[in-house]
Amino acid sequence: MTLTTVNAGMLDTQAQYTGFKNRIINPGMVIDQRNAGASVTPAAATYTLDRWYAFMDVGSKFSVQQSTTAPAGFTNSMLITSTSAYTVGAGEAYGVRQMIEGFNAADFGWGTANAQTVTLSFKVRSSLTGTFGGVLRNSANNRTYPFTYTISAANTFEDKSVTIAGDTSGTWLTTNGTGIGVVFGIGVGSTISGPAGAWAGTGYWGATGATSVVGTNGATFYITGVQLEKGSTATSFDYRPYGTEEALCQRYCYMFQNPTGASGDGSTFGAGYTDSSSQGVYFITFPVSMRTTPSLTTVSTANAIEQGYYNGTVTTHNATSISLISNVSSPNSALMLVGGASFSNGTGAFLRYATQSITPCVFVSAEL
Amino acid sequence: MYLIKNQYLGERIVGQVIIKNDGDSITSFGENHDNTDYQAYLAWLAEGNTPEPADSTP
Repeated sequence: MTLTTVNAGMLDTQAQYTGFKNRIINPGMVIDQRNAGASVTPAAATYTLDRWYAFMDVGSKFSVQQSTTAPAGFTNSMLITSTSAYTVGAGEAYGVRQMIEGFNAADFGWGTANAQTVTLSFKVRSSLTGTFGGVLRNSANNRTYPFTYTISAANTFEDKSVTIAGDTSGTWLTTNGTGIGVVFGIGVGSTISGPAGAWAGTGYWGATGATSVVGTNGATFYITGVQLEKGSTATSFDYRPYGTEEALCQRYCYMFQNPTGASGDGSTFGAGYTDSSSQGVYFITFPVSMRTTPSLTTVSTANAIEQGYYNGTVTTHNATSISLISNVSSPNSALMLVGGASFSNGTGAFLRYATQSITPCVFVSAEL
Repeated sequence: MYLIKNQYLGERIVGQVIIKNDGDSITSFGENHDNTDYQAYLAWLAEGNTPEPADSTP
């Protein structure tokens, strides 16, 4: 077949149609390593679905859950549910945000005369209607761009987009620190809300006049398909392979959990030796390079990780304490110090996943 | 809220981590200015707080 015509509509001098078009990670809310779809009501600011951070000034005012209620073409959304009819204080902020690593937005040129225009698009649904808001911000939160959007019909997914002229002022990191923060407010006080549609040298957390979701008991707010891209128009959603999305998330958080959910033989992930009767040291690698040397969090060590050795049959003991040896850990690998009933000194041993009754049990985090 | 913990192999200190106990979870991390947990720890110190010191024995 001979190609005789090029559709000019397929070409765009501003938007990029290949590669990492969408700078949001987990934009379709498909990855939820920490909670595996369970609803959480954070008592303090915390990560929920991968890369999405729930923030609040007073805890337990809303729950967050990976939902299967989604618009056509999507399988998941992030569901926020208000747990009370809370009156937000003038200086309080409630919402969810994603901090984009500076490396992934360096080409935006923000903070320079070459700052690029970007478009933020998303699919949103709420039991409430009216004006809602959010902000784009820099790392120091001294450059912010409040934006608003309107939800016209209750309980119906609607497509929204906001085009933003790049900021030629301020400091925008192009390193492994926070490059750009994308913030969706669900209740922001008047003194930290700013006028929509303009850059400000103020640390705003929301847009003036936006609806407070946490102000209505039981109000729901779903969001998915979040896309931040260069250019002045919202293009089609950048569907990425699940494995790619998972790996992108694992740069910031990795759960020590057998993907199959199984324990036992075949779930080994580290090798080392026992250096005493109560401790072993094991070399582990992370599935992808993390953003920086991670922290390690244990929610429950019970039935999370086992130390074991093999001499014809496998003998294992549950770990009772876990940490990464600080001096020899890196974004790529670590020596894991594991306490618990061990074996004779110098026994060659391995680590493997155990049956996990609590999610999450143990994870490493290099979040922003 | 925070405590310092030495990491031993035998009698030898091979590392030191800062531990934050939230009640529901325990997070440990080393000195790393790119790590947001360490940044939060530094902010906590700047408020005049002091961590519990490390044990001097394994």
